[in-house]
Amino acid sequence: MIDINKIRADFPILSRKIHGHDLVYFDSGATSQKPKTVIESMNRYYREINANIHRGVYEMSVESTELVDEARKDVAGFIGALGEEIIFTRNTTESINLVAYSWGEENIKAGDAIVITKLEHHSNMIPWQELCRRKGAELRVIDVNEKGELENEKEAEKINNAEFEVVVGGWRNLLDNKVKMVALTGQSNTLGTVPLLGEIVPMIKRKSPQSLILLDGAQMVPHMKVSVVKLGIDFLAFSGHKMLGPTGVGVLWGKKEILNKMKPFLFGGDMIGEVKLGGSTWADIPSKFEAGTPDIAGIVGLGEAIKYLMSVGMDNIHEYENNLLKYALEKMKTLKNEGLILLYGTEDINRGAAIAFNVKGIHAHDTAQILNNFGIAVRSGQHCAAPLVKSYGVEAMVRATFYLYNTKEEIDYFVDKIREVPKVFA
Amino acid sequence: MSEYRQIIIDHYKNPRNMGELIGADKTIDEANSSCGDLIKIFVKLTNGKITDMKWQGVGCAISTAGASMLSEKVTGMNKIDLEKFGETGVVEMLGGEINVGRMKCATLAYRGLLKVFD
Repeated sequence: MIDINKIRADFPILSRKIHGHDLVYFDSGATSQKPKTVIESMNRYYREINANIHRGVYEMSVESTELVDEARKDVAGFIGALGEEIIFTRNTTESINLVAYSWGEENIKAGDAIVITKLEHHSNMIPWQELCRRKGAELRVIDVNEKGELENEKEAEKINNAEFEVVVGGWRNLLDNKVKMVALTGQSNTLGTVPLLGEIVPMIKRKSPQSLILLDGAQMVPHMKVSVVKLGIDFLAFSGHKMLGPTGVGVLWGKKEILNKMKPFLFGGDMIGEVKLGGSTWADIPSKFEAGTPDIAGIVGLGEAIKYLMSVGMDNIHEYENNLLKYALEKMKTLKNEGLILLYGTEDINRGAAIAFNVKGIHAHDTAQILNNFGIAVRSGQHCAAPLVKSYGVEAMVRATFYLYNTKEEIDYFVDKIREVPKVFA
Repeated sequence: MSEYRQIIIDHYKNPRNMGELIGADKTIDEANSSCGDLIKIFVKLTNGKITDMKWQGVGCAISTAGASMLSEKVTGMNKIDLEKFGETGVVEMLGGEINVGRMKCATLAYRGLLKVFD
């Protein structure tokens, strides 16, 4: 169970007023708010500890190094991994680029195929698009049906609406022995769809046993218990700022034996073994992939965020959000049945706490701005998933996302204010 | 609701000069990549001056009103006049107050129009 009053009191920003109204923050899918403990841990780091990590023998540098090591262990424990398999990056995007460059450059060649899905955020789409372009490899895209689910049986179809041809279809028809990488989301940032990994991963292993699997966990890791071993994947990418941590720190988890074979992505300080003027060797993982001074305070903050999430309990958070989602969907369905809004994706699929909609006849930006005037923060636009949004025949959607600090009362208020939107244009 | 002044709602509901301009000297496509707003601008030019403008597009109230109101303002303007008008001119035209987050909507048509003289 979640003590919502206690949780809300931990987030200072929630007492902010917007245009004279209490803030209703429904944009945690873009970035989450931060509890006091996270903010204070970073504050304390800069006030009392601040020193660069590694190779400092003085007290503060040792303390700094220990804090980073401890956070790495916290992250590893959080997803059921080994500490050395945790690489700190800036964000999910950088984590995926690291794999696309380091692993992709060495392992993808003309004739190979990479599979992504139409649910992907641009961060898990463009790096693979570009890798395919560089290598002359084939990009295959799992399509999405009207309900917001990934297609299984759909026939493969070649589509060429831009610079190069892609193959679009269902899982059954896009997996074969040419596939070297399947990169998919753990939860759609736009529709909230949670792909059925328990079915998808075994199918990939059966039909494309040579392929690696990268999971974009940006919208998944903050909201549910994740075990990389149980999932049976090879890489997991996620961002600290969407899970109560600060901006500036992301994580790439990779299987040790794969990371060990990969070449560095960025070169420079801290990632080296032995340096000679004519050439150098590389440090072991994870340092091999962490060139330069990292965001130490950010890493400290992320460690603290994980402590907070674990103290509440990921299963509790997941259950709480699920209840919020069901409650909100029920209310939104009433608005839909009244002909007031359009909902994208349906309620009967496996999904997380995100709702995409439009008020009929009103552009998403206008809806979002009118809601803002009531103190409600929602996102509007293409949600970095342009092909997905366009497949619903619209140019933009409004999106509300919930997290552990949101309430049913906020949802009531939100639904009430959606009714006000058309009145502005009446 | 300062953004949704009567004049904006009026231009949004009854956009002026919307449609295709037959015999246009220049046609420009401009898009807002973050929200998907699209606009096609048609102009006729005489001696470097805009003599007629029409436009087509899909967008929010702010970008639609921005295009509609601009289409009534720009007749007679040359490149220098248009540059002088500036984004400040667009904001003033829309009533003097546009939230920073909506500036890309407000200036969509204006940015497209600048390309007429590229």
